[in-house]
Amino acid sequence: MKTKFLFLPLFLITQVAFAQKHIAKTGYIWFYSYTPMEVIEAHNHQVVSILDISTGDIIFNLLVKSFEFKVALMQEHFNENYIESTKFPKSTFKGKITNLDKIDFKKDGTYPADVTGDLTIHGVTKSITTSGTIEIAGGAITAKAKFKIVPKDYGIQIPQLVENKIAKEMDITVDIPYAAN
Amino acid sequence: MKRTIWFAIAIVFFGLIVAIFIWLYAFRKADLSASSQRAETEIAATDLLKKFESNESEANTAYLGKVIIVSGTIDKITEDSTIVSVYIKNPEDVSGVICGFNKTMIDKSTIKLGNSIRVKGICTGYLMDVVLNKCSMEK
Repeated sequence: MKTKFLFLPLFLITQVAFAQKHIAKTGYIWFYSYTPMEVIEAHNHQVVSILDISTGDIIFNLLVKSFEFKVALMQEHFNENYIESTKFPKSTFKGKITNLDKIDFKKDGTYPADVTGDLTIHGVTKSITTSGTIEIAGGAITAKAKFKIVPKDYGIQIPQLVENKIAKEMDITVDIPYAAN
Repeated sequence: MKRTIWFAIAIVFFGLIVAIFIWLYAFRKADLSASSQRAETEIAATDLLKKFESNESEANTAYLGKVIIVSGTIDKITEDSTIVSVYIKNPEDVSGVICGFNKTMIDKSTIKLGNSIRVKGICTGYLMDVVLNKCSMEK
């Protein structure tokens, strides 16, 4: 009986700690490649993200095969020839919001958020820094960001034949609504 | 003479139109769901989850990129601008299978929480849950 009470505060503490973590399982990330020859976009609606509002730790996890293209054949080429999604099925970002003190998670509004961390694509990890926003509306948190990546930096080889159809820089848009706890 | 030239032009023109259609069909084809593809296997959501939990790389080899049918009960339904996500989860399990449907591929009035369903889709892997996309409902 005594031990039970001893564990009670511990249990409460873990409950509080858990409430600081916000999870999204159907977050949205898409990329856009523009050249005069071809416009390519692909959408992933099954991004997992965990945001810890007490530490600012933020993680994104996605399955490369979940990217959907308008053209089926493009999706096939993307998976098989460029990103090699069977060999590297996941892409991750592990980082931190560095201006956490400027964000009031209890008050509705749109706050600029500076994020820095490690982005892994195609098995290659690079450190990136970008800025996005944290939107608070009625207690629900949405994280948004837009940044560019260079496929070549991640060891993604684009054959000369299609070089002028695929942009040297891709626009990545992140839109993650976290489930309200 | 004039007639044969016109005839030749007509044939070339006709051929060109056919070629454009074939090109559009074969190379620019959009595919919103895997409904027309044959499923390689059928498995209960809870069993599929267990396979990924116990040995992810083995499960990846078996299911990644494959068209499969998954069955189970609906635990949650969410949607964004283009995709409806139906979450199949066994009450005893911690996680489940997330099935992504293109909005045009699902009639939301026919799905209710707690219903047993069979979903055909392409397995894209495992994060916190197993993920299926380009889904369609199976009878």
